[in-house]
Amino acid sequence: MQDGDRGSIRAEHLSKTYNGSVHAVKSVDFEVRPGEVYGFLGPNGAGKTTTVGMLTAGLQATSGSAFVDGLNVAREPESVKRRIGVVFQESTADNDLTGRETLELAAALYSVPRAEVRRRVEFLLEQMQIGDAADRLAKTYSGGMRRRLELAFGIVHSPRILFLDEPTLGLDPQGRAGFWRYVLQLRKEHGMTIFVTTHYLEEADGMCERIAIIDHGTIAASGTPSELKDRLGGDIVTVRPVAGAAPAQEMLTHIAGVSAVTEQDGAYRLKCANGETLVPEVVAACVRAGIGLQAVSVKRPSLDEVFLEFTGREFREDEGMSATDRAVLLGRVRNQMGGRR
Amino acid sequence: MIRELGALTRRELLRLGRNPQAIITSLLLPLLYVLLFGQGFNGFTKGVPPNELALLVNGSPTYFSYFAAGMVGFVAVTATLFIGANVIFDKLFGILKRVSSTPATSFTIFGSRLLAGVIQPIGLAFFVLGLAIGIGHLGLSGLTVTAAVGVVGAGEIVLAIVILSVMFASLFLAIGFSIEQPQSYFAVVNAINLPVLLTSAALYPWGGMPHWLQTIAAYNPVTLAVEVIRLNLFAGAGPFYPYAAWYYLLGLLAWAAAMILLATVLAGRALAPKR
Repeated sequence: MQDGDRGSIRAEHLSKTYNGSVHAVKSVDFEVRPGEVYGFLGPNGAGKTTTVGMLTAGLQATSGSAFVDGLNVAREPESVKRRIGVVFQESTADNDLTGRETLELAAALYSVPRAEVRRRVEFLLEQMQIGDAADRLAKTYSGGMRRRLELAFGIVHSPRILFLDEPTLGLDPQGRAGFWRYVLQLRKEHGMTIFVTTHYLEEADGMCERIAIIDHGTIAASGTPSELKDRLGGDIVTVRPVAGAAPAQEMLTHIAGVSAVTEQDGAYRLKCANGETLVPEVVAACVRAGIGLQAVSVKRPSLDEVFLEFTGREFREDEGMSATDRAVLLGRVRNQMGGRR
Repeated sequence: MIRELGALTRRELLRLGRNPQAIITSLLLPLLYVLLFGQGFNGFTKGVPPNELALLVNGSPTYFSYFAAGMVGFVAVTATLFIGANVIFDKLFGILKRVSSTPATSFTIFGSRLLAGVIQPIGLAFFVLGLAIGIGHLGLSGLTVTAAVGVVGAGEIVLAIVILSVMFASLFLAIGFSIEQPQSYFAVVNAINLPVLLTSAALYPWGGMPHWLQTIAAYNPVTLAVEVIRLNLFAGAGPFYPYAAWYYLLGLLAWAAAMILLATVLAGRALAPKR
C-alpha cells in the first residue's frame, strides 16, 4: 500500500451479474480521494447497494477490481473489514442488546484496545446523543436513535473509511438532519473518507463534495454538484403553452441567448446563461407568434435536471422526499453546520 | 479470536437471559414427559418378573429408570432445535450481516453460537436427571440408581450429555446457516428430529425392539449417549453392556466431529462474500 492510497477507494471495471443474467453493476470506474465525501446517487435498483457490497467485502465482484485503503478487496477482505466502517441500508441494530452492550460488542469485534473500550463507548454514546438511553434495549429506541447507534457501531474503531448505504432511509427530516450533522462532524474531526449512497437528490447536493450518478448499473456522470450543474449550460426556462397552441420549438430556438430547446410533456425547456433576463424575450416572442402561454418559470439547474440530462429520464419524485421535506432538511443541516455547503 | 468469541458468546447469553419465557417453556416438555408419559408407561412393566424386565430394559431397575435416562438424551436434542432458528432470525433482522461485516471470522461466529447454545440443553438434561431422581422421593415412580457411580462414571455421564448437545447443536446450526426461511428450517428439522429419536433407544426398551431396529439404534448418537448414562447408573460393565463407556463416547465423539465439520463448512459458506 502506498501512502497516497490510505483512505482512498478505487473501482476498476467493477461489475456484478446475478444468476448470470441480471447485470446489477456494469463495469464502473471511479476513485474516491482520501477525506472526501463521495456520493453515489441513483434511484432504487440502480446498483448502489451492490457497489457498496463489493467495496465492503460483502459481495464478490463478477469482474473488475475494487481497492479500499490501498487493499484489493477480493484478496484481503479481512484486512479491508478492519479498516472500514459500514452503516447498512436496513436496520441492523440488535434488539436484544442495550446501546452500551452493542458498542462494547463492536469494540471487541474490531479489536479496540481493552483499555480504551470504556472511554470510546462512553464518548460515542454521548456524541450520538444516546447516553441517556445507553442501558435501554435497542428495541425501545426511535428510528433516529437506532440509526445513530448503527453509525456508532460502524465507527467505534475509528476507521479510515466509512460506507453509508442509504443511511437516512425511513428517517423523518429531523432525524436526517441529525444524522448528517454527526457524519459531517466525524469527518471534520477524523478526516474520514465517506462513501454514501442515496436516492435523495438534496442530500447528495448538500452533503457530498463529489457525486457519481448511477443508473441501470452504469455511471452516467460524475463531478462536484456545481460541475454537474454547470455542464447543463446555465439556467433552465420552462415554457408551457396553452393547450392546442402551435408548435414553438423552432421559434424558441432562434431567440438570442437560448443554447438548446427540448420538449417534454407539452412544455419546452430552454437552456440559457441567464434565465431571468431571457423571460421577457421569450414572452414577447410567443406573443408575436400568437402562442398563448400557460406558465413560464426559471430554474437554476438542480440535480433533478442533471439526472434528466445524463440519463434521459426524470429522477422519479417518489424515490425521494417531498419538496417540503427537502427544504426542511437542508435548512436544518446548513444552520447546524454554520452555512457550510 | 478469543476476544471476538467471548464477545459474541456474551451476546448470545444476554439474549437467552432476556427471554425467560423460552427458558420456562423449555422446561414444560421434559416435565410432561417425566410426570405423565414416564409414569403412565411404567405401569406396563408392573408384574413383569425382574429377570425378564432386566432383559427388556438392559438391566435398568424399572422402565421409568430406563426411560428417564433416555429422556436426558431426548431433551439434550430437542433443546438444541432453536439454535438454528435463531441464526435464521438473525439473518432476517440483519444481525448476521452486521456481524459478518466486521473482522469476526465465520468460525468465531459459529463457535460463539455453539458455546452459548449448548448451555440450555445441558442444563435441561441435568434438570431431567434431577427431576427423575427427585420424584421417586415423592411417592411417584422415580429413577433409581443401582450401580456405584464413581467420579469417572459421573464424568462419563457429563461428557455424554455435553458431546450429544454439541453434536446436535452443530447439526442444527449447520441447517440454520444454510436455510433462509424459518418455515423451511422447521420442516427440515422436524424431518430429522423425529426419525433420529424414534430410531434410538431413548424411549424404546432394547429387548422389545425388532432386530433391524436394534441395529440402526446401535449407531444412533442418541443411543450412544443414553447408553453411557444407563451403563453408569444401573448396570455397570457386565452382560448388558459388553463394551466400556469410552467405546460409546468415542462413537459419539465421531458423530460430533462430523457435525462440527459440517457446520464449520456451511457457516463459512453462508458468511463468505456472496457470489
